[in-house]
Amino acid sequence: MDTRQVITSLDPALIPLAPLVGAAAAYGLGRKNRVFSGVIATFAAIVAFALTLKGVFDLAPSAIKEAHLWRWFGVGQVAFDMTLRLDRLSSVMCLVITGIGSLIHLYSTAYMADDEGMPRFFAYLNLFLFSMLVLVLGGNLLVLFIGWEGVGLCSYLLIGFWFRNLNYCGAGRKAFVVNRIGDAGVLMGIFLLLKHFGTVDFLLLNDRLGEAAALFDPKLAAVCTLIGFCLFIGATGKSAQLPLFVWLPDAMAGPTPVSALIHAATMVTAGVYLFARAHFVFDSAGAELGLIVVVVAALTAFISATIAVAQNDIKKVLAYSTVSQLGFMFLAAGAGAYWVALFHVITHAFFKACLFLGAGSVIHGCHHEQDMRQMGGLRRLMPVTFITYFISTLAIAGIYPFSGFHSKHAILASLGQSPNSLIVASAPIIVLIASVTAGLTAFYMTRSLVLTFFGSYRGHAHPHESPWKMTVPLIVLAVLAVIGGIGLEHSLPHYLEAVLPRAHAHESLAPIDSLGASWIGVLGVLIGVFLYGPLASVPPAIAKAIPLLLRLLQGKYFIDEVYQTLIVRPLEGVSRVLWRGVDQGVIDGTVNGTAEVVEVSGELVRTMQTGDVRHYALYLFGAIATMVAVYLVW
Amino acid sequence: MERIHTILAIAAITFAIGAVGVIVRRNVIVVFMCIELMLNAVNLSFVAFSQSVGNLTGQVAVFFVMVVAAAEAAVGLAIFIALFRTARSVESTSATELRL
Amino acid sequence: MSVTIAILSVCMLISAVSVVAARSPIVSALALVGNLITVAAFYAAMNAHFLAAVQILVYAGAIVVLVLFVLMLLNVKGEAGKKSDFILRVGAAIIAGFFLLTVVPIWDGWLGLSNLSAPEGTVRAIGKLVYTDYVYCFEVASILILIAVVGAVTLGRRARIPNIASE
Repeated sequence: MDTRQVITSLDPALIPLAPLVGAAAAYGLGRKNRVFSGVIATFAAIVAFALTLKGVFDLAPSAIKEAHLWRWFGVGQVAFDMTLRLDRLSSVMCLVITGIGSLIHLYSTAYMADDEGMPRFFAYLNLFLFSMLVLVLGGNLLVLFIGWEGVGLCSYLLIGFWFRNLNYCGAGRKAFVVNRIGDAGVLMGIFLLLKHFGTVDFLLLNDRLGEAAALFDPKLAAVCTLIGFCLFIGATGKSAQLPLFVWLPDAMAGPTPVSALIHAATMVTAGVYLFARAHFVFDSAGAELGLIVVVVAALTAFISATIAVAQNDIKKVLAYSTVSQLGFMFLAAGAGAYWVALFHVITHAFFKACLFLGAGSVIHGCHHEQDMRQMGGLRRLMPVTFITYFISTLAIAGIYPFSGFHSKHAILASLGQSPNSLIVASAPIIVLIASVTAGLTAFYMTRSLVLTFFGSYRGHAHPHESPWKMTVPLIVLAVLAVIGGIGLEHSLPHYLEAVLPRAHAHESLAPIDSLGASWIGVLGVLIGVFLYGPLASVPPAIAKAIPLLLRLLQGKYFIDEVYQTLIVRPLEGVSRVLWRGVDQGVIDGTVNGTAEVVEVSGELVRTMQTGDVRHYALYLFGAIATMVAVYLVW
Repeated sequence: MERIHTILAIAAITFAIGAVGVIVRRNVIVVFMCIELMLNAVNLSFVAFSQSVGNLTGQVAVFFVMVVAAAEAAVGLAIFIALFRTARSVESTSATELRL
Repeated sequence: MSVTIAILSVCMLISAVSVVAARSPIVSALALVGNLITVAAFYAAMNAHFLAAVQILVYAGAIVVLVLFVLMLLNVKGEAGKKSDFILRVGAAIIAGFFLLTVVPIWDGWLGLSNLSAPEGTVRAIGKLVYTDYVYCFEVASILILIAVVGAVTLGRRARIPNIASE
């Protein structure tokens, strides 16, 4: 990393420019003809993808393409620049964002074809791409934070896209508010970095931390632990980890392509990217921070997987599955294996986007039915959707040779090889939890697959296969979900070795051993197949046997209710006191009291106005007499 | 007892009587006459002070007061006629439209 | 205190009380004439000859005659029996008491005024002052009288605007 070469280039600026222009054009021109907006937005996304490819094409291992746009502002000795940088780390993310983004844009042109708000939708979607690219390309934490807030805004706008439904609006607001808690953490991290190192520029920070480490600064570890913890709080908000994951399941109120793009493939992985981008902070931090991250990640993965088992809404299953998979990513990130985390980000983006788009296709085909109990038997009616969903299920279940196996295997392997001694010590327990979670994942995904596509149709609509604009992205993503693991297992660490520490592939298993290693996934799949296939009478029996546990799972551990009681209610109470007592009582009371005093005194004084001149004469003389008296007495 | 003091005291008493008349009487023409009474009381004190100070400025002031009194009489009596025309009365209690 | 002043003072007070107390407005007007003439006599006693003459000509001659004319024209009777309300009577008493109280310091000579005699207030002396030092006031007074005349004519015309009260 010492050999980095900074090249001035416009590429990093042009990539986000395309969707920004696209957003304006999609909204401006799309209002006349809404089909137009989809075409423009999709074109803009493809242009961004092409620009990324062009920018990546000649990117040397340790090269950084830098676009210094303008000096934003300066405070004292500290200057903040609008700098965008494209290096190999951000290029990977850019490829994922623009690539999958393009596919989802294409998909959306069909999915949203009947919606009046199409121009708005595509404008938001392009704006999201822009924000996400700014987040990824930002040369310093402040620019990253602009993108960070921008994606939060777009997420809010798109969750509440169907704003006539007040529940959806509430879901959007919840996502926004919960994210703000995390954002406060990021901001505190930025402030602490400024305080201790005087800069938020990633390259400069890297150098300063290196200098501090070379001087054996005794406070370095403590400071970095604190900063890392603040950034991790931000990551738990954006990437839906405990305790802030509650917004992501509700975020499924948005249109399904949005769930695929924002709430599965890209935005929610921003926290992981933050870890990789600021890896020097986490590497310099104490071992406790890594342990906290890993424990939180493992708990998140396990808890959300158990909730997913009891869900009936197909999108809710996928949402909790996303939370669970994000937990896996943070396992790797916390263990210091940043490339592994990124690896899982990419494979997850492939298969989870495919799953979400498949679910969208099903929902579209079943006329906006989301309850899996109202589906079934769709494999003949929607063959393409079925095959792609099936492949992605195998991928997420972690079965060799599909992509999920490779990334999950790498995650479990990285725990034991972590540079963090505390994690290595606790690795057996963590690996156990992660393995059980992987089995649960296989189980509930198989459950959703069987409930949706096998058996006989239980709904009342007339399901039909989706148009090519929707199936083509499905096919592309399914192919990527198959080959992504094998293709990237060795090439990704090699590609990233100059920008990330410890970017070296784990020794890969022989195919036969890999098949053996995927036993837990196979087990989960088999249980799922049998419980919802031949032994369909068993799940209700189980449900009867453990009613309390089932209620707990269906109620999502009542975390929302707990938050409602512990945080929202007291806050509302305080607000009510401030509203009724302080605002209405004191402030309004002062204003209204003034008015009342005026009114009452006016009522008193107006009795003086009799209209009789003689009374006025009396007042006149009284006033004169008083003045004379005052004059004489003085 | 100086002569001037007597005259000033008489002027003050006349002023007080006029003031009482303005307040107590209802007939606006009588009220007007009471105002004339008060004006004359003030005029008298002006002349007395002029005498005491030793120049004629006070007497000039009285001259101007008379001018104003004449103008006041012209307008005031016209108002009385207008009032009588609308209210069929010249009592101040019959012109209380401006009360609340 | 000379006898003249004493007699004039008595006349002055009697006529003033008559103006206020008389039931008939005609009596009030006549009492006012007496009062004005008494004041004119005071002026003459203080060598203000011009003012004494003007007092009789303008006040007693013109203004009071005008008042009497209006009284006759409108055929105003004395006020009906009901008395003024309590507040007015008490207020008038307090005001009167206060103004009468100011007599005390005057009588005791607090003002420290002497009986210096002024120059004679002849037509010549007053006229000289009015047309030199007070010429602007004089001109303004002429405009004031012009305005008063116009105002009196305007008020005296029969209103063309329909009476609001009758609508």
